[in-house]
Amino acid sequence: MSKKEKSIMKLAVAFALTFGMVSSAYAMHIMEGYLPAGYCIAWGAISVPFLTAGFFSIQKKLRDNRRSITVLAMSGAFVFVLSSLKIPSVTGSCSHMTGTGLGAILFGPSAVSILGIIVLIFQAVLLAHGGLTTLGANTFSMAIAGPFVSFGIYRLCKALKVNRMASVFLAATLGDLFTYCVTSFQLALAYPSEIGGVGASAVKFLGVFAPTQLPLAVIEGILTTVIVMTLESYALPELKAIGFAKEVK
Amino acid sequence: MKNIHTIDFYAYESRLKGLNPGLKAVVAIAALLICIGTGNYLVSVTVFLTMGGVTVIWGGLSFWKYLGLLKIPVTFLILGTAAIVVGISSAPTGRFCVSLPGFYLYLSDDGAILSARLIIKAMACVSAMYMLVLSTPASEVINLLGKLPLPRLLLELMNLIYRFIFVMMDVQSRMKQAAQSRLGYSSFFTSCRSFGGIGANLFLVSLKKAGTYYDAMTSRCYEGELLFMEEVKPVKRKEAAVAAGYIAVLLLLLLI
Repeated sequence: MSKKEKSIMKLAVAFALTFGMVSSAYAMHIMEGYLPAGYCIAWGAISVPFLTAGFFSIQKKLRDNRRSITVLAMSGAFVFVLSSLKIPSVTGSCSHMTGTGLGAILFGPSAVSILGIIVLIFQAVLLAHGGLTTLGANTFSMAIAGPFVSFGIYRLCKALKVNRMASVFLAATLGDLFTYCVTSFQLALAYPSEIGGVGASAVKFLGVFAPTQLPLAVIEGILTTVIVMTLESYALPELKAIGFAKEVK
Repeated sequence: MKNIHTIDFYAYESRLKGLNPGLKAVVAIAALLICIGTGNYLVSVTVFLTMGGVTVIWGGLSFWKYLGLLKIPVTFLILGTAAIVVGISSAPTGRFCVSLPGFYLYLSDDGAILSARLIIKAMACVSAMYMLVLSTPASEVINLLGKLPLPRLLLELMNLIYRFIFVMMDVQSRMKQAAQSRLGYSSFFTSCRSFGGIGANLFLVSLKKAGTYYDAMTSRCYEGELLFMEEVKPVKRKEAAVAAGYIAVLLLLLLI
């Protein structure tokens, strides 16, 4: 092989390793047993206030209208099913969306935090993604941080009168990216590198997961936009009933 | 999506299903806590082998199917561990060092030892959790959570969501089949459109069904509390002794 052929070969191998190996990339669930005990507890504790707020908001909603319990449960099941589906991908790898961005836009971030932790428990128990000990950390990144950012961006775009579809896309994509950054940071905090500490370690985790997570975030944005578009054209009354789309004519 | 049917299905098939779910949970959680709390690799290896052994030999799950399930978290393990083993620095250091424009990639002994321990520990934890979920159907896991001081509303939501997941899966698979047979997944962009369409439709169907289910529940005297029949599976003295012995052995291994 000539030098050029060799370097092409190397590139091809690197490509195959990054994309071929990732046969099933769930949005970054930290696996069972990957975090030291102290971090498991700490992230769980940080999640508690958000979950409590979410719980109270759900409770209030149910006190006003008892019927919404099945709607809430269906929404949870919907987020779970959406996140368990293989999404279209260009590289042929099999990846999944989080669905929490969509949830945050439709139901608000506090309700999603509760639905999110239930979905995460089921993902651990039924799909073996994530884990029971890392539930706290995963809840914080996926059911709290991501949805809150999505919702914030969605609201911000609305205030700035950005095109609605663009704002949905931005909200879902950036929410997903934020989840990925938070997870990398969580991993980096638990495993700082010898040189450079947490910062260098965060860069490493971000870099390692970037090839799967960056395209995933964009695809999640596209899919969420398509879903919201379809919903708005076919399901306005239903959307209004769950308190979404007051601004859509 | 195949997995959801498999893990719950294996749990119903398992020969360990007759055991008291609380006992299985105590063993699994004790193993998890000892592994995570101490990080002792001898304990981790023991847990990995014994929990796998219990699931495969006692539970009667085929070895190859178990291996297939163990592969699920491997992607994360490889990527996550790669990030720990390889370091970046501005000056050349470590055992192996690769120079890249602007910085150096290096491998260090400490990083390698840390990640080897981490892999063993994480896989041990996974096998402990598998012992529980591959022998205990999800409904029993929810019942177990019900014994914790959690708000009832949360458990009610969990029970409902668990049931609705299967309803939604069924609806989704039929929608997907319909889209597929009409070439809805022929290219990347059509797949995105079909996926989005199915997602939106799924949401609509779920909202419609939600109303119907509430009516069905109310007509059966639902007043804010779901009651399910729970099979009573008493703990036999021998089983409790085996479980206690196992945890004791794990703790003893810590002393070595």
